[in-house]
Amino acid sequence: MIANLAASMGMAIGDPAFWMPLVLMGILFTLTLGGVLFDGFDVGVGLLLRAAPPDERSHMMVILSPWRDANEMWLLLALGLFLAAFPLGWAAVLAHLYLPLGVVMLGVMLRSVAFEFRLRAAGDARVAWINRFWFGSLLTAAGHGLLLSAVVTGYQQDSASIWFSVFVAVCTVAAYALLGSCWIVMRLTGTLQVLAATWARHAIRWTAAGMVALAVALGLANPAIFYKWSNATRLMLAVPLWFVMLLCFVGIDVSLLRATRPKYQHLAWLPFCFCVLLFALLLGGLAYSMFPFIILDNLTIWDAAAALGSLQIVLIITVIGAPVMFLFNLMGYRTLFGRVP
Amino acid sequence: MMPSTLVLTMEISALLMARLQFVLSLNFLVLFSALATALGWMLAVMRWQSIRQPESGWLGAYRFWVRVFALATILSLGCAVPVLLELGILWPSLIERIGNVAGPLLALAIVTFFVIKAVFVGVMLFGQKRVSSTGHLFSIIMVALGFTATVFWGVVLQSWTHTPDGATLIDGRYQVLDWAQLVFNAALSWHLLLFVAGAFLTLAFLMIGILAWQGCRRPLEESERLAFQAGFWLAVAAMLVQIWATDGTARLVARYQPATAAAVLGFWEANGQTESMHARWLGRASDGSLIGIEAAASHAPPVRSLYWLARAGLMLAAGMTILLCVLGWCRWRKGRNPSMYPSGVLHVSAWLSWTGAALWLVSWNLVDMGRSPYLVWGTLTQADLLTETDAGLLAAGLLVSFVCYLLLLTGLIKMLRHAARFGVVPVRKPGASA
Repeated sequence: MIANLAASMGMAIGDPAFWMPLVLMGILFTLTLGGVLFDGFDVGVGLLLRAAPPDERSHMMVILSPWRDANEMWLLLALGLFLAAFPLGWAAVLAHLYLPLGVVMLGVMLRSVAFEFRLRAAGDARVAWINRFWFGSLLTAAGHGLLLSAVVTGYQQDSASIWFSVFVAVCTVAAYALLGSCWIVMRLTGTLQVLAATWARHAIRWTAAGMVALAVALGLANPAIFYKWSNATRLMLAVPLWFVMLLCFVGIDVSLLRATRPKYQHLAWLPFCFCVLLFALLLGGLAYSMFPFIILDNLTIWDAAAALGSLQIVLIITVIGAPVMFLFNLMGYRTLFGRVP
Repeated sequence: MMPSTLVLTMEISALLMARLQFVLSLNFLVLFSALATALGWMLAVMRWQSIRQPESGWLGAYRFWVRVFALATILSLGCAVPVLLELGILWPSLIERIGNVAGPLLALAIVTFFVIKAVFVGVMLFGQKRVSSTGHLFSIIMVALGFTATVFWGVVLQSWTHTPDGATLIDGRYQVLDWAQLVFNAALSWHLLLFVAGAFLTLAFLMIGILAWQGCRRPLEESERLAFQAGFWLAVAAMLVQIWATDGTARLVARYQPATAAAVLGFWEANGQTESMHARWLGRASDGSLIGIEAAASHAPPVRSLYWLARAGLMLAAGMTILLCVLGWCRWRKGRNPSMYPSGVLHVSAWLSWTGAALWLVSWNLVDMGRSPYLVWGTLTQADLLTETDAGLLAAGLLVSFVCYLLLLTGLIKMLRHAARFGVVPVRKPGASA
């Protein structure tokens, strides 16, 4: 498959100009997925703060704390890698994204500062920082939605796509809330767990609606992608994919109904795992639809890549830096699947 | 006629909005990263002294200032995201053109920062009891080094945009010819020195100011007296370095951006003069005559802003120097304990807490504005690279960003005041790694 791809680009597999962009794009996708999942539950819990009873809010912030340091790393690393490895793609994509990324950037800044400031603030000020963390999470989630809708509609800006963007933004907020509440179901017991299961079951419908809308828009707005998925051999891939995603939704719903009962407490991690699978499939499907283009039918990852010398430096930095960060952050993530004492 | 005038004003204001937003974000990043870096070294010295003299107050001083360090680090990390994204959403084709240069430098800065953060910052902030005191000192030194390295890559990129050596523009994109030449470009050393002076001035005046504020309210403890003296000597040293760095940068600007130098000095028309009172800081043409502003005709820098900003900086520096002289006199006459100083002096010092930061921002903005209207000197102008986003949206974005930054700044000041008044709130971070 890779040989075919190389041949279609007119390059040899061993040619650094061929494999370096491919490897870097792989790393970039991993970082993005990591950001959506790990920073995602973080955003989700932030979103749910205002729904939770006021005296539980601090507790929710506290259970996030061991992962904060690692979670906020994903986005900056992904951005840095995108900029450094694919400067032409960066220019072509970001030129259209002032609004979505402006919203994301303020949200992320507010979140990362508010979380740490709350830890160090005294008494009353803590409430204000919790509210700012919530608002930052809302901005981040909505910004991601706007970003996603811009990507699938091929950066069109007409009045119909504005309503579509708003709808996707709402659904993205719901999707993060789903991820966050499933995480709470996994991590906590008691009132908050029961509440989280209810929130998750509200959020799941909106998430499903959003995912279907995204898929439809992706196919309709881009004939090439529609062709790619409906072509006979690819259909063999598409049908099971849809089936698995459907199963995930059913799985989340069914397991949520039972997860809070004492009898099934040992299975409380199931909804979260279904969520992770669902998000990974969605992002993977999107990436597969676009590949090997950064701007559909216009700019491939090889067109967008930096000069070979610069790519080489970026790759070396990544290969040296990533394992160190990974190892040390793993020490932060190690208690991920346990219960909070 | 009307529509074309209208279009023209819209274009100008879109450019202005984009510039303001970018400068706003950069100023916050530059301020807090300078403060965090300077504090890193100051904390290393405090911790080292506390190991050498366990009975002294240095550990107390360390405990207070490590909190300020944490706040500055959080803010600089938060402020890095907007700057990075604005490189794309405000000047989309900038990275397309200088990506081969900027990409590796920014990647290095980001990875250096996160490696240091993942490995050492946790130990420094939360692991003091879990490691030996030498191990703790080591992690502080590593954090200071790591922050300095991060800043170094940033300054390399900034100075390269002023003197773009080691790379050449081919088909609209910069291709790197020689990394060594690129990194050690002509402007690097002076820009680094300016950063060092600015960072330590920011810290020193903040230390003097906060401790003087405490001194107005109650007698100072031993640890606070030590910190006050450290702040005083640091301020004196940093001010001397600042003078040196300003002179060097001014001569650099005269050589590479003569119109900017002329604007700062108000040297409007040269008329073939070869001598002037401040010829040291003016550019010279090949025939030895001085260069005035008229040289830059179509690509003139913002003359008025440069002229007044430079004078504001000069006034500020003069005021700060007077304060340092008064404090030196107090020290000579009344000894090392600032509680014994006249309360007027303490009040003025407290009021001037942020003058170090202000002077640093003035000198940074002078350098940055001096490059206008270019983003990369001599080749890429801001107007060429501007986003197509309409001016109204840009203005709204600027306004919202401004509100956000203001919120964070007031938050910081409130927390500093609280800490200065009641001591630092203890922090326990559950599960913080190592």
